[in-house]
Amino acid sequence: MPPDLLTARDPAEVICHRDGAAITVGGFLAQAAALAERLPDQGQAVNTCTDRYAALVAFAAALWRGHPTLLGRTGAAGEAPAAGTYILTDAQQPDAHRSGASLPVFEVDLAPVHRTVVAPAIPADRIAAIAFTSGSTGAPTAHLKPWGALVLGAAAAAARFGLRAQDGPPSSLVATVPPQHMYGFETTLMLPLHARLAIHAGASFFPCDVLDALDAVPPRRILITTPLHLRVLLAETRRPPDLAAVISATAPLSREMAEAVEREWHAPMLEIYGATEAGSMASRRSAHEEDWLPYDGIILRPGFADTPSLAEIPGLGPVPLSDALEAVGNGRFRLLGRIADLVKLGGKRASLAELNRVLAAVPGVVDGVFLAPRDLERNPAARLAAIVVAPGRTAAEILGALRDRLEPAFLPRRLEMVAALPRDHLGKLPHQALRQMVREEP
Amino acid sequence: MSMMGTTVAAEPDLVLEADLARLIVAALSLEVAADDIAPEAPLFGAGLGLDSIDALELALAVSKAYGVQLRSDDERNHRIFASLRSLAAHIAGHRTR
Repeated sequence: MPPDLLTARDPAEVICHRDGAAITVGGFLAQAAALAERLPDQGQAVNTCTDRYAALVAFAAALWRGHPTLLGRTGAAGEAPAAGTYILTDAQQPDAHRSGASLPVFEVDLAPVHRTVVAPAIPADRIAAIAFTSGSTGAPTAHLKPWGALVLGAAAAAARFGLRAQDGPPSSLVATVPPQHMYGFETTLMLPLHARLAIHAGASFFPCDVLDALDAVPPRRILITTPLHLRVLLAETRRPPDLAAVISATAPLSREMAEAVEREWHAPMLEIYGATEAGSMASRRSAHEEDWLPYDGIILRPGFADTPSLAEIPGLGPVPLSDALEAVGNGRFRLLGRIADLVKLGGKRASLAELNRVLAAVPGVVDGVFLAPRDLERNPAARLAAIVVAPGRTAAEILGALRDRLEPAFLPRRLEMVAALPRDHLGKLPHQALRQMVREEP
Repeated sequence: MSMMGTTVAAEPDLVLEADLARLIVAALSLEVAADDIAPEAPLFGAGLGLDSIDALELALAVSKAYGVQLRSDDERNHRIFASLRSLAAHIAGHRTR
């Protein structure tokens, strides 16, 4: 494959709205080039920038230098980071050194750089990013993202959502997802490089932040978010300005919530189907459509009993998926649910079996089991429960031990201490009996 | 707009703190009793063990109950969320209901 430019956009176009100022592609390239010159010859970057524009400059500078960016972590948990790993941070983060005490730290300087820089060509097979799927135990699997595949993915998303130069006026993107998450990385770092849009750089976590951010950017405004954020945003009495689209991913969006967005915000509510391993693969307009339409160029092969579903991703090849799919005609497919006992919370995922193993390894625990609430897939605020047999230990002690071993999202919100689990004569745990042991939400 | 008028009350408002503790327990379906939340203990991380999902829920509940909008751009954010007492003090200085 031929190399792809870092960005093929016109230098005069706006790539970011930051503190009320519009930053052009040309201004961005100059800052990224200046940062790239300060970086070591070899290495890999951990991008901890909280300001989205700083994160974009940092990602581009590392790529320019030939270095991959690690999304979300410094490497496998418990292992020392690979040689050459360094941290890119912005000034807004006083505790940037926390995540890697001994790693070199480079601060992203956002002072304007007055020089003209041409976007570099990046080899298609260069690893631009490494994403991790985190098991509950923190034993992650690395997924390498070649630059060519990322550019193809961005182009496919731009075509799907009408963000190409030929599709109309430029768009403004406000996102509630961090750029260190695969969905946030694809939408808010890759799209501004390869679609006609500008990202908003400021805070956008609390509902008030998000609404202020939307008010601060020009139309066409697009909100990149998750069901979790949509729930709290819809509960606000304050309404967002005119939105060209609302896009959600990371967890299934309920039909009710999709309808509420369309009705109350008068905006198309679009949902992306994606996975860290494969990136974004398909979309649907959730209030009107049950079935998903793959992005152009992506082929989804439904799996059967013991064969995983496969996604053929341009530039990446076949990627096994953890969801069961069914082809429904018209090139669309239906999502049948997660394979096995996978649970997904706060953008992280784990299997219940894995969580049970972690629980069993806590000193003093004789028996125990994690339970996913029935509404886990629909309720973004749903949390796990656990039933534990640990004579002489308190629930607080068990929870404290789990806190050291698990991602916070997987900590049980309800932890029942019992004398014994209702195992049947085969040692199996009837689900019904378990559910009766934990108080379910009314 | 975020920091104007923030006053750290010299005397903690115990009624508001108790009220807020009940709100937190209810909004986040916590397994602890409201009375058991130590006013000076951290809400996030160790202490009560809340995370960013809880922060969003908490922001929603605080907005509905007290008319106080929490923001990320508040430089005192770390201090506001440090404990039940600090959050109550912030609410006391900004509440509209």
